[in-house]
Amino acid sequence: MRHGKYPFILSFLALPVGLYAWLVILPFAQAFQISLTDWSGSSNSFNYIGFDNYVNLFKDERFVLPALQHTGIILVVMPVVTIALGLFFAFMLNLGGRMRRGRIEGVRGARFHKIVFFFPQVLSVAIVGILWKQVYAPENFGGLITGALTAVGLPAPVNGFLADKRFVLAAVIGVLVWSAVGFYLVYFSSAIASIPRDLYEAAIIDGAGRVPMFFKITLPLLWDSVQTAWIYLSIIALDVFVLVYLMTPEQGGPDASSEVVGGVIWKYAFKYGEQAFASAIGVVLFFAALSLAVVSLRVGRRERIEF
Amino acid sequence: MTNTPADRQGIFTRRNLFGATAAGLAATSLGACATSGGDDEAEEVTVGEDAENPFGVDGTAPLDVVIFDGGFGNEYAVAHQAMYNEAYPDAEITHLATQAIAETQQPRFAEGKPCDVLDNSGAQQIPMDALVGDGELAELSPLLDAPSYDDPEVTVRETLRDGVLDAGTFNGEVYALNYVFSAWTIWYDAKLFRDNGWTPPTTWDEMLALCPTIQAAGIAPWTYAGQHPVYLYDMFLILAGRHGGVQVVKDIDNLVPDAWRHPSVVAAAEAMRGLGASGYLLEGSAGIDHIQSQTAFNNNEAAFLPCGSWLPNEQRSIAPEGFEYAPMGVPYLEGSVQPGLISAGGEEPFVVPKNATNLAGAYEYLRIMLSQEGAQIFGDTVQAATVVKGVELDNPAAQATDALVANPEDLFQPRFRFWYTGMDTEMRPALGQLINAETTADEFIERMQTVADETAADDTIEKFTHDE
Repeated sequence: MRHGKYPFILSFLALPVGLYAWLVILPFAQAFQISLTDWSGSSNSFNYIGFDNYVNLFKDERFVLPALQHTGIILVVMPVVTIALGLFFAFMLNLGGRMRRGRIEGVRGARFHKIVFFFPQVLSVAIVGILWKQVYAPENFGGLITGALTAVGLPAPVNGFLADKRFVLAAVIGVLVWSAVGFYLVYFSSAIASIPRDLYEAAIIDGAGRVPMFFKITLPLLWDSVQTAWIYLSIIALDVFVLVYLMTPEQGGPDASSEVVGGVIWKYAFKYGEQAFASAIGVVLFFAALSLAVVSLRVGRRERIEF
Repeated sequence: MTNTPADRQGIFTRRNLFGATAAGLAATSLGACATSGGDDEAEEVTVGEDAENPFGVDGTAPLDVVIFDGGFGNEYAVAHQAMYNEAYPDAEITHLATQAIAETQQPRFAEGKPCDVLDNSGAQQIPMDALVGDGELAELSPLLDAPSYDDPEVTVRETLRDGVLDAGTFNGEVYALNYVFSAWTIWYDAKLFRDNGWTPPTTWDEMLALCPTIQAAGIAPWTYAGQHPVYLYDMFLILAGRHGGVQVVKDIDNLVPDAWRHPSVVAAAEAMRGLGASGYLLEGSAGIDHIQSQTAFNNNEAAFLPCGSWLPNEQRSIAPEGFEYAPMGVPYLEGSVQPGLISAGGEEPFVVPKNATNLAGAYEYLRIMLSQEGAQIFGDTVQAATVVKGVELDNPAAQATDALVANPEDLFQPRFRFWYTGMDTEMRPALGQLINAETTADEFIERMQTVADETAADDTIEKFTHDE
């Protein structure tokens, strides 16, 4: 029956591949096509204008350039902080405690902490956004952080963190980290659990403290997980828009100081009626994401350690 | 419009879409995609002899109505549709009430199969400049020149209040019927002022003199929706217009060179900046949204709030017992030449897509909305004035607003924020920073003059002007 193999396989693949082509590849292709036109989005006629949108894109100091800059900052800061915190907490919760009866354990109440840290992951982004909007609010309007700062006699921004150009981007990154850290804590925890305990016990017998143990054993053996986390977080960082939309004044303000690429695409496509220009930004973002994934996989490639 | 519909046709056909390689795939799937759909030659509506049915409505044709389900709800629209069905019992009406206007309707425009009547309003409205620029909307003159619903001797145009068509007029052609009559004013609590013996100020200096007294009572003089500086637009522009006359603000809209550097505009900018510099804003105002600012105002945490005339109705069930919403024009600067100027006119744009299936029915539906009965239904259900003359409202705040807008010479709606999104996006943060005294008046003026000059110099932006 060897000659019947390919039609058989094809009959299974036809539907998923067809759907994928129709719902994923075609819209992508269409975004490329639209980005070469002057389509407004609310008409069925347009003209081809070549690469004008791409040229203008890099001249747009109002939205696109700040957005690229901010997305770049988020892309660097957010994954680093999230992974660092996730690893630190995972390490402490699994191996940070005292030796008891010859076994290494996490800090007291590790299971409870794990669940608490995971809470933000369960909340929908909309709730997270509204929650933190209130946390960051001006003191007069019940802001938690501003109120706490004033209570201990420290200066706080009068209009809250989100209305202040200096703090708004950091505030958004803070929420991103807060909501992601719990997941990566659990993720790294399960990876740590698969590292044989005798490695640590041997290290302790040799007199290693927690810090060398972390850098010499845990981190190298978790490298694959860290790399995966890095790619996921980078994608989240490129995609960050919902929080900016929900929390910041004028969805990216004040005065474009929290504008991100996703938000700018939305603004041009649906608020300003420049769908073609928005598509051009989308195409740029697509290539940025693609090259990011390739680069991080290449650069991060190391020899696998068998254990 | 840069292109006539005729030369736009054929630019986009299914055949040259992807070239030969993807043609097979494209042909089957594009029917459902964003950029497909045929552009049939749109029909025109003319006014016939029959005063009962001037547009020649086909009584059996279905009508597709989309209503923005916002502050005004959609109850009134259901009543209007009942009126339509009374005249045409066989017409099947599709009624969609939604806040997601762009999300639900933009794809239909792109497909060439839009609804018949669209209430293009709310945060998700489809940008009017894009719709007009693309030639997607039907011109409404036939409706305005048709005999009115109540009296065949009077045209629909003659039943409308003064100046209400301006907001829907683009270079002399009417593309939107702004159904609600509203004004931007400064609000205060008449009871609070009475109890404290304060006189509502008419001039800026009186207002400034009153501010320390208000502060002494533990109340901040001003607040506003800091996250949406758009609420300051009309306060600022009318302040300038009152000082130098309406031409000053018209020039800004018309992109006249150096319009922003006019001394009256500079004076208004300095006055606005003074509010923040003197600490007359409620602390934290820059960080709050319109709901928070209105709540603070309801709680008498601030004495003045710039907002539109819909405010008292919106707050009807929220405002504390005894709170008396009262409107006033923005206190005018010393030496103002037109102290009565006020931003008022039509809002809530109803449009008829050019490719609507039932164009005649859409015009008829709007004619019904503009009838005395139709307008009164709206007034009764939402306690807001429509653009139709002679609708009675029993709400005291609405009556007080009516008194402010009595002189047609003094009505003006600043328009550049609807015409030029680029200027709008610059103005909002700039105004927010100005009132908080984070920039100087000169920096503000120069920033706005720069974007105005850029807009004027950019040939790709379609230009609009006020009719003289």
